[in-house]
Amino acid sequence: MPISKALLNALEQKRRIAYAAGGEEKITERRRKSLLTARERLTALFQENTFMEWGLHAQHDCHRFGMESRPMPGDGVITGVGYVDGRPVAAFSQDFTVGGGALGRIHAKKICDLMDYAQKAGIPLIGINDSGGARIQEGDDSLSGYGQVFFRNVELSGLVPQISIIAGPCAGGAAYSPALTDFIIMTQGHASMFICGPEVIKAATGQSTTMEEVGSAATHAAVSGTVHFVAEDDTQALQITRKLLSFLPSNNVVDPPHRPTPVVDMSPDLALNQIVPEDPKTPFAVHDVIARLVDEGDFLEVQRDFARNLVVGFGRVQGVVAGFVANNPAHKAGALDIDSSDKGARFIRFCNVFNIPIVTLVDVPGFLPGIAQERGGIIRHGAKMLFAYAASTVPKLTVILRKAYGGAYLAMCSRDMGADIVYAWPTAEIAVMGAEGAVKILFKREISAAGDPAAREQELAAEYREKFASPYEAAGKAMIADVIEPAQTRGVLAMALRNTLSKRETRPPKKHGNIPL
Amino acid sequence: MIKQLRVTVDGRVYAVTVEMLDEGSDYGLPPPIAGARPLVAPVSLAPPAAAPVPVRSASTPAAGAGEIRSPLAGRVVTIDVKPGQAVNEGQQVATLEAMKMNTYIYAPKTGHVSTVLVQPGDVVEEGVVLLAIA
Repeated sequence: MPISKALLNALEQKRRIAYAAGGEEKITERRRKSLLTARERLTALFQENTFMEWGLHAQHDCHRFGMESRPMPGDGVITGVGYVDGRPVAAFSQDFTVGGGALGRIHAKKICDLMDYAQKAGIPLIGINDSGGARIQEGDDSLSGYGQVFFRNVELSGLVPQISIIAGPCAGGAAYSPALTDFIIMTQGHASMFICGPEVIKAATGQSTTMEEVGSAATHAAVSGTVHFVAEDDTQALQITRKLLSFLPSNNVVDPPHRPTPVVDMSPDLALNQIVPEDPKTPFAVHDVIARLVDEGDFLEVQRDFARNLVVGFGRVQGVVAGFVANNPAHKAGALDIDSSDKGARFIRFCNVFNIPIVTLVDVPGFLPGIAQERGGIIRHGAKMLFAYAASTVPKLTVILRKAYGGAYLAMCSRDMGADIVYAWPTAEIAVMGAEGAVKILFKREISAAGDPAAREQELAAEYREKFASPYEAAGKAMIADVIEPAQTRGVLAMALRNTLSKRETRPPKKHGNIPL
Repeated sequence: MIKQLRVTVDGRVYAVTVEMLDEGSDYGLPPPIAGARPLVAPVSLAPPAAAPVPVRSASTPAAGAGEIRSPLAGRVVTIDVKPGQAVNEGQQVATLEAMKMNTYIYAPKTGHVSTVLVQPGDVVEEGVVLLAIA
């Protein structure tokens, strides 16, 4: 007996209503604002015809405040699994056209069920946030719903990569789910993210401000350091998501998608020999160095606009995926400070949990001096870099390009912080401190006793620089593995990355270390 | 895959974002939305002199009316422009020194130098206004 036509028609009818979401008018309104619909965003993320949706027929069961007469297709969120680059990925996409995308009990349940599945299946989770916040009519159920999502964000943290896209409003408590995930991509213009908006701030404190100042993508990318990528629009946000996923493993027990080339090309890249300027005071562009080390110059920089004195991001070296951490001497002399320490430490810890080797490029004159830094806690923030590197068990390769002074040198993955192999360019200066500072202390008496103290100091500084501010002291004591020509770096790194991929390092078991926060 | 390219055409430098579509897997992009901005958006930068083209964030927090603030505490080494001089976006306007490194300051927009508030030798704090472009 064939299945009853009436049953099939009824199913078709229910699907049509669900797909219509908030209705033609609201959808047209979104198009007018150049926004994709919730469903279109998932289409842009996934390979064609691979999306399996769950919970299409889910309905809220709230009977208060007139909700019984307000059906919400899918309860305002679309959840399911699709394929990106041939790998399954879980995603939810909040639908602003349905009740403002507000989160109620069933909406939260759909997301939580998806997260539970992602955890069991070991697949990445993408969250597309576009919501007015808690559905006030559902009261405590809404609040609890958020709590359940946050709890699972933390459960999943370190098990599977979690990426959040802020494609619309993400206000109050709702902002904490993205905050708990690994990466946040925010679109310009339409999207906003804040705990207290300008009106609440004004009412509570009297301070006047604008959404641009406290909740925009620009502010979060450059000032608060909350957002890792800024996208021009929805389509670019999803492109960035796919790009990011291409460097990451699906979960914490597999390797990232390395595609090692069959042959390691060791031929020198002479352009790298030209990069370091003669004048030690002239900064070089570390982005140019990284571009020459990664395949096809293809480097995905993370948090580009925040703490620009440290550059972090993903690339491949002859096919092997690596996370890069590099001082940027063009900003704040490349010194480490509070913001860059936070940025670096979080990136290092992400690479560690997802088996991504770390390549550290060093040109650091020290920690940034200043009252704001000291009173701001550079001690406990700077310590995060040391903690993150020392606690990491992924392959760690360090290349010292120029300066490597003092505590900051240690914080940039020195041998003692567990770097597996440390290389240095001939231009490297590995020292406790710069020559001028060192001679002032070491030769204090001699300088003050000299006929011309300033000249004597210069002389001694030059001698000190010649003897100690070079890689050969450290190399002589076998504290670094080798001094290499800049031109050799790409080949050497490619080889070293392959060797260390099989690294296995065990540490005494403990619940977790107590990283200063 | 998305690529960032720096393209020079007739001496003008453009920063271009390109998406490679012939990658094998079909991402099923939605049809173009009327009114949406195109993916490839050329941004013209001032032609580079000796130094590489500076990477400036478009999202620098507003510093009223073309004020250029010091990005760090340091000593002014050179001021490369005079009041009234016309400058192009990206043109080097000053050099600061801190921690034995030069930090170059570039004009955030095209215009004329309206005021110069510091001179070589001055020691400045982070955030101090160095000069302004009108």
